[in-house]
Amino acid sequence: MRFGRTSKAIGVAAVAAMALSACASTGGGNTASEGAGDTAATGGTISVAETNAFSSFNSDTAAGNVDINGKIAYMTRGGFYHIDNELNVVRNEEFGTYEKLSDDPLVVKYTVNEGVQWSDGNAVDAADLLLNWVAESGYANDATVDPETGEVTEGTSYFDYAGDTSGLGLTEIPEIGDDGRSITLTYSKPYADWEIVFGGLNDGGVGMPAHVIAEKAGLADEQALIDLIQGLERGDAASPADPNAELQGVADVYNTGFDTKSLPGDESLYLSSGPFVVDSITPDQSITLVRNESYDWGPTPNVNEITVRFIGAAPDQVQALENGEVDIIAPQPSADTVELLESIEGVTVEVDDQLAYDHIDLNYTGVFEDENVREAFMKAVPRQTIVDRIVKPLKEDAKPLDSQFFVPAQEAYETSAASNGSEAYQEADIEAAKELLNGETPEVRIMYNKDNPNRVDAFALIQESAEQAGFEIVDGGLGASDWGAALGTGTYDASIYGWINSGVGVSGVPQIFRTDSGSNYNGFSDPEADKLMDELMVTTDAAAQDEIITKIDKLVWDSFYGLPLFQSVGLDAYNSERVEGVVYQPNQTGVFWNFWDWKVKGE
Amino acid sequence: MVTYIVRRLFTAVLILLGASFLVYQLTALSGDPLADLRTSNQPNKEELIQQRIELLDLNVPAPIRYFHWLGGAAKCVVPFVGQCDLGFSITGQPVTEALGRAMGMTILLVSSAAILAVLIGVSLGIVTALRQYSTLDYGVTFMAFLFFSLPVFWVAVLLKEYVAIGFNNFLREPQIPLSTIIIISVVSAVIWFICARGTVPVRLKAAGVGFVLAGGVLWLLSATSWLSSPGLGLPVIAVTGAGIAFGATLLTAGLKNRRALYSSLTMVAVGIVVYFPIQPLLAQATGLMVFLLAVATILVGLGVGYVMGGYDRRQNMSAAVITSFLTAGLVLLDRYMQAWPAYFNNNRVNGRPIATIGAETPNLEGDFWVHGLDTFTHLLLPTIALLLISLASYSRYSRSSMLEIMNMDYIRTARAKGLGERTVVMRHAFRNALIPIATIVAYDIGGLIGGAVITERVFAFAGMGQLFIQALEHVDPNPVMGVFLVTGILALVFNLIADLVYSALDPRVRVKA
Repeated sequence: MRFGRTSKAIGVAAVAAMALSACASTGGGNTASEGAGDTAATGGTISVAETNAFSSFNSDTAAGNVDINGKIAYMTRGGFYHIDNELNVVRNEEFGTYEKLSDDPLVVKYTVNEGVQWSDGNAVDAADLLLNWVAESGYANDATVDPETGEVTEGTSYFDYAGDTSGLGLTEIPEIGDDGRSITLTYSKPYADWEIVFGGLNDGGVGMPAHVIAEKAGLADEQALIDLIQGLERGDAASPADPNAELQGVADVYNTGFDTKSLPGDESLYLSSGPFVVDSITPDQSITLVRNESYDWGPTPNVNEITVRFIGAAPDQVQALENGEVDIIAPQPSADTVELLESIEGVTVEVDDQLAYDHIDLNYTGVFEDENVREAFMKAVPRQTIVDRIVKPLKEDAKPLDSQFFVPAQEAYETSAASNGSEAYQEADIEAAKELLNGETPEVRIMYNKDNPNRVDAFALIQESAEQAGFEIVDGGLGASDWGAALGTGTYDASIYGWINSGVGVSGVPQIFRTDSGSNYNGFSDPEADKLMDELMVTTDAAAQDEIITKIDKLVWDSFYGLPLFQSVGLDAYNSERVEGVVYQPNQTGVFWNFWDWKVKGE
Repeated sequence: MVTYIVRRLFTAVLILLGASFLVYQLTALSGDPLADLRTSNQPNKEELIQQRIELLDLNVPAPIRYFHWLGGAAKCVVPFVGQCDLGFSITGQPVTEALGRAMGMTILLVSSAAILAVLIGVSLGIVTALRQYSTLDYGVTFMAFLFFSLPVFWVAVLLKEYVAIGFNNFLREPQIPLSTIIIISVVSAVIWFICARGTVPVRLKAAGVGFVLAGGVLWLLSATSWLSSPGLGLPVIAVTGAGIAFGATLLTAGLKNRRALYSSLTMVAVGIVVYFPIQPLLAQATGLMVFLLAVATILVGLGVGYVMGGYDRRQNMSAAVITSFLTAGLVLLDRYMQAWPAYFNNNRVNGRPIATIGAETPNLEGDFWVHGLDTFTHLLLPTIALLLISLASYSRYSRSSMLEIMNMDYIRTARAKGLGERTVVMRHAFRNALIPIATIVAYDIGGLIGGAVITERVFAFAGMGQLFIQALEHVDPNPVMGVFLVTGILALVFNLIADLVYSALDPRVRVKA
């Protein structure tokens, strides 16, 4: 068959037209480009900058324990309480209740309200609480770990829980009640931090959905998981049991099944029981949360959508804020950053204390074995000058921190600071130090992180002042990757570094101050303080706890332990022409703590 | 030849093995992965330390850990057996997955900058070589060295401040003030003066033209609010297209070749004719469709050039293809501009189009054109930053290469036998001057995929450089090794390619087996 030129050309054109129309977009032309989604009408969207990139929907595991994962969990989980900006525990009774049934033995009952559900419609119930409990209590773990190599020599460690298991570890297998909506925990001895040990938003709320984990682990249903957990024996590292394959399966899903940088195709991996649910993720760039339609058990957010964008460096966050790409930022604070932010019109800057604080500790061995030398050295530390030099440029009204245990945001701070004898160490008292030294010139090696400019400044100021008093100061500063390992090795006499106050709860106290405790690097040991700490750990009343800590504070100051220097400064800033309701918060949740109060102006 | 390649590949493998061992050790020893936990006062500090030791296998000495890693990595080269296993990052993400994503982002970031740098750099180099020691030459040299020596993070911050934040603020009220118009016109006059050729009065006249032209265009843009609702329209496309047709013909065939000129002009006419009919189709565009249209455009260009006939069809065809491609580009640009108001007023963009961070506006809703504009506004600043610093090397290399060629005997011979200046420059000199450039480009492509660490960081681009630097900060060797593998292999492969290309392009160099 022969074709003419014209018919060939027409044929080619027809084929081409078909090919082109086949790859046309299905959307109806220009209508899509109008763009304004209907989300805009009723609450608006807010965009927040964060330093780290999202990497897991389970923020409680060792790998997923990154601040941003915890913040996303905070917004997408229901929980029994949250911590507010004044470090109070605020309960959410619309989600559920918890009550102390008895003091001795300590019995606490957690009940989830009826109607609280995951975003797939499955109820949040005792199974979820139970799963959360088994992971956070380390109940079945019976592993023995070689302290030298860190290798598990015997037994099994099931859940990679990144939090502290010592509290829930005291509890027996919980009883289920109220039609499977409550669990009752019975402690083998009173536990001071019982109120903040389970189900709080700051620790990932009620955690992971049990029905999803049961399914992924190959169990028949949620009930099978409940039966599995209730049939467990308490793990005993001394005589490890055979590994429980079913529990290991559950733990594997819990440990790694929710780690992802992109949005999984399987919706059950990112269920929500909180105000928001994850809508989309661009790996390493942004994550977007939208309203959880079924949510009505707790504070309801004003905004419809929150986008978190990941921006590493502080100056880039500032410029993104200035350019309107993000509405709220919380960069690493520095004098430059604060100055930059304050020069931008329409931006509100909040500079306030963080829970981290710098301190100088004196070893109870070597040159500082003599109490007089310790006291003389403490007298020679110019705390006010250090604050003036390091913190004042950021925060106008900064003062030296006057307690080893409390921060000014806590109620007990005033009383403790007034009675612990800290007023004697506000400014360097060279004369008094000289008198105490009585003409001697002790040599003091001070260890600090010399890659941290604040510590270098603090060291220089202390050195100058202490040398006037007659001390011979040796610069023992080490690089960023070495100084941590040197702590507690006895290769120095004094050390300048930072601790983080937990803000709520008291289990951090013995960690630092008990004899031979894990973070007790300077060898502080006081039988009376040890006794008080033992008492503290079984005291369940908050006011009584404060009283005991106030006593310990005094003991620590009286034994010339060293000095707290200043609190680190935190920073957030937001576009106050567009958003309102943003309030500074000193702990890890940061500015997200009251995200439900955020509001877009005019929406 | 084959023996040579095999030998090169064999040494490449040995180099990779040695280098990867070194890099692994250096990364593992670069810091203390437990540093933050050691100084922690959390009650469960010991458990956290145990967990991390287990996660990162820290109880195994680094040299032995390297062989664990190597065992996994070796699976990548064994075909059909097992899967590629480059380990996991500290946050539990498979490195292969992270690498794939980071490479995509890096390629998105660097490719347009690389192409533009080559095109602009080489043309600047050629032009300055042809007008050696002129004001233009000195001016370009000065600017090239200036940009080359600017630190990229500083350029980036300036760009963000003025091109993004400042320009976005300006767009709220896009009226160009008179003072700005005058300043820009003066700058334009200076540039015209520098670029113009001839006696001082001639160049002054050129400066005048430059002043009036820039001022007029700016005034027009301001008066018609062009910046809020830009567009080219048929007349601008027609005039610019005709200019392109003449330019393309001039470079490829010379204006004396009338058939080439007519082919080019025909293509401009075709572009104008299809401008309206194609709009409904473009309204539903997808990436594939635009690609097919581009292919069609080139084919039509080839066809027209062929049909036009004459003594040298190849010249017609190349002139027609260049013209048609660029004219189609104008139509495309016009379509993008039509989408600008939709993008500008999108509630995710909120009238601040030029972005300072990231590769896209999260959750932007819109069609192909809106997304295209979004990519453009996000890539604009990093591309300019990268372009400015890489421009210098290309322009300097091509300038010196061109100068050397222009002094060759065969150029004198070509002139002596009466060839026109265009033929001498474009055919005899330019092509030969490109040979060394080709090898440099090959090297650079290898280096580019490695990521532009600082640029990526400043613009919060999640590319290879970012992956590398973040892993290094956490003393997390697996992602570092992933990045190293990709960049190392690319560097070696492109080195080999550069050598082979050189021998293929330059008959004087032959690979001896």
